[in-house]
Amino acid sequence: MRIARGATLAALTAALLGSSPLARAWTVEEAAAPYKGTTIKALFLDRPGYAAAIKLIPEFEAATGIKVTWETLPYENSRERQVLDFTGGTQEFDIALIDVVWIGEFAESGWVAPMSRFIDDPALVDPDLKLDGFFPILLESFGTWDEQVYGLPFDNYSGLLFYNKCQLEEAGFTAPPATWQELKEVYGPKLTDPARDRYAFALQSRRGETQSADSFMRVLWPFGGSLLNAEFRSNLLSPESQAGLQFRQELMQVMPPGIVDYDHSEAVNALAQGRVAMITEWSAFYGTLTDPAQSRIVDCLAVAPEPEGPAGRKPALGGFSLGVVDTGDEARMNAAWLFIQWITSEAKAKDYIRAGGVSGRTAPYDDPEIQAAYRYVEPMVASWQDGVPDFRPRFADWPAISEIVAEWGTKMMLGEVTTEQGAKEIGARMEAILEKSGYYDGSKKLLK
Amino acid sequence: MTGARSERWTPVLFLAPAVVALLAIGLYPLLLALTTSFRTYLVAKPNLPKDFVGFANYAAVLGDPTFWQALGRTFLFLLVVLPIELAVGLAIALLLHQPGLSLLRALLRLSLVIPLATTFAVVGLIGRLMFNDQFGVVNHLLGIVGIAPVQWLGQPTTAFLAVALMDIWQWTPFVALVLLAGLTMVPAEIEEAAKLDAGGAWAILRHIQLPFLLPGITAVLILRTADILKLFDLIFVMTRGGPGSATELIAVYIQRIGFRVFDQGIASAQAILLLIVTIVLSRLYIRLVYREVA
Repeated sequence: MRIARGATLAALTAALLGSSPLARAWTVEEAAAPYKGTTIKALFLDRPGYAAAIKLIPEFEAATGIKVTWETLPYENSRERQVLDFTGGTQEFDIALIDVVWIGEFAESGWVAPMSRFIDDPALVDPDLKLDGFFPILLESFGTWDEQVYGLPFDNYSGLLFYNKCQLEEAGFTAPPATWQELKEVYGPKLTDPARDRYAFALQSRRGETQSADSFMRVLWPFGGSLLNAEFRSNLLSPESQAGLQFRQELMQVMPPGIVDYDHSEAVNALAQGRVAMITEWSAFYGTLTDPAQSRIVDCLAVAPEPEGPAGRKPALGGFSLGVVDTGDEARMNAAWLFIQWITSEAKAKDYIRAGGVSGRTAPYDDPEIQAAYRYVEPMVASWQDGVPDFRPRFADWPAISEIVAEWGTKMMLGEVTTEQGAKEIGARMEAILEKSGYYDGSKKLLK
Repeated sequence: MTGARSERWTPVLFLAPAVVALLAIGLYPLLLALTTSFRTYLVAKPNLPKDFVGFANYAAVLGDPTFWQALGRTFLFLLVVLPIELAVGLAIALLLHQPGLSLLRALLRLSLVIPLATTFAVVGLIGRLMFNDQFGVVNHLLGIVGIAPVQWLGQPTTAFLAVALMDIWQWTPFVALVLLAGLTMVPAEIEEAAKLDAGGAWAILRHIQLPFLLPGITAVLILRTADILKLFDLIFVMTRGGPGSATELIAVYIQRIGFRVFDQGIASAQAILLLIVTIVLSRLYIRLVYREVA
């Protein structure tokens, strides 16, 4: 009897607690109920991470009743499209696509809302959000500005060394080069044969962000150089920066001619068709290189971290976070938050990876099944341990500086100016921009 | 009385939509650009005030060596492509003007429209493929005659040449069609009489046909100059202004300032200066080339 009464009490308590909103588990379905029927819009790129998200969106729509639409644009037009939307008052986008180098601009301009606005609301925040479940470098670099989180890492890249192990083995190498110097001096001569149109390496260097981010910056950090010093003055004339830029000039001897016109697609294609033996490219291109329809080297493809320089590995870091556009429309903003939280969640991370994306969460990469299925995982995770969060400065002035670097960086590669002359030109123009922005008179914090 | 008034207003009502559209899409942006050119206007820094700065933006543009280099490159481009387009266009027009070639004329007229109907961006994409050093058709054709592959888009001079060739491919048909229209204006009896007087082809062209071609040539000069001064899409897709700044014509540079740096004040000043250049050149063309047929 006592047992029966105890059991009844327990059942009653459980029933009462179960019906209490405090005890009920948080679900995206319930959180989204007030926003059912809301339509939100995102800007996507034509890259694997976005195709993966598009595959998952119907699941979110079915669970929440929130409709997610998107516009796909080339990278080169994506910032322009968003800035004009944010400043023109058209309010088309609810979800901002924030490149690592736009976070300062988007946050300082007030175009994206700080995430604390949503995280502090128990009705909107998933108890399993776990911000510390993201790779720290990704959350810091892609999503954080002045110690505030504005975006959650979504499309995440690390620079990796993709190589054709069959070609390397034929040339007598059993492992990829460990250092940049080794790549140029040991691997380069043995893998380069212009008569057969074969080259050891290709470094995508086309004018634009490809030149400034993928080519120019890539040779600064591993050699101990950098774009700016601690006082935000140009550091390009330092011996370390000059060593890196000079190294790139010498490295061109083992690269295909016309490398200054190589964008990502040309570099990836050169490796995929067996014309070059090694490239340093974003992890996101793994899918292309393992697709038999696009690659002849599927069975020969191997992946390693980028080579080290005298200052260490310091691989290229890039990627995008998703942020909530501050449209002032609470329903659209909350709906956008729920989508961002869901698509970048730990719970959806494996689905996102299987659909072709690269998650910024740490947990899925501990799974042996994921490690075995995706050869890029191990070097990528290793790269994210050695990365530089401000591989490119993330302040609002970067796009203007990037244009200057792109112009003079290609001029250096073409031999139209020396690395020293080019560094002087970039330095003078860059400092003029930074001065105008107030970095030297103390009116602006030295954040990058 | 009412009928007379309505009759007076009818033409105004018919013209009004066109005038309103012209004001909205022509005059308003022009005035906006003009006022913006006198202000600090950094789109991507909405927190900065949009102060009136007088002629400071114009002074900055006139003192910017990159602006002058891009303008010089644009005139070089103009000097390379325009004479070729006029010469080849005239040759095609004269060919199509020959009597007894009705089928060929119909086919050629049709094929001439195809490049014109292609958007600049697509022409850029076609150019990127045609001049690809690995699988482009241009290197393939050179290979047939024993010429080694050329790094068309990877070298400054050849990249400039490749862009020029794509422009020539797209716009020579336009020149040919305009000049053909001019040739059809030549009275047949005068041409016949000139031929009977044993005039050579050159003499007929110089003394009989050219006067009828001059209005068309003037139109071509004005339109193509304006087109080249605002040539952007083709170059952006094909080379992005590179390598280095080899193909950075003035419109590409202005776009860079206006929509990458987002300095609308400077970009507007550049655009207004470019408009002045276009107007001056147009007046020069009309004064030097245009002649009414006597």
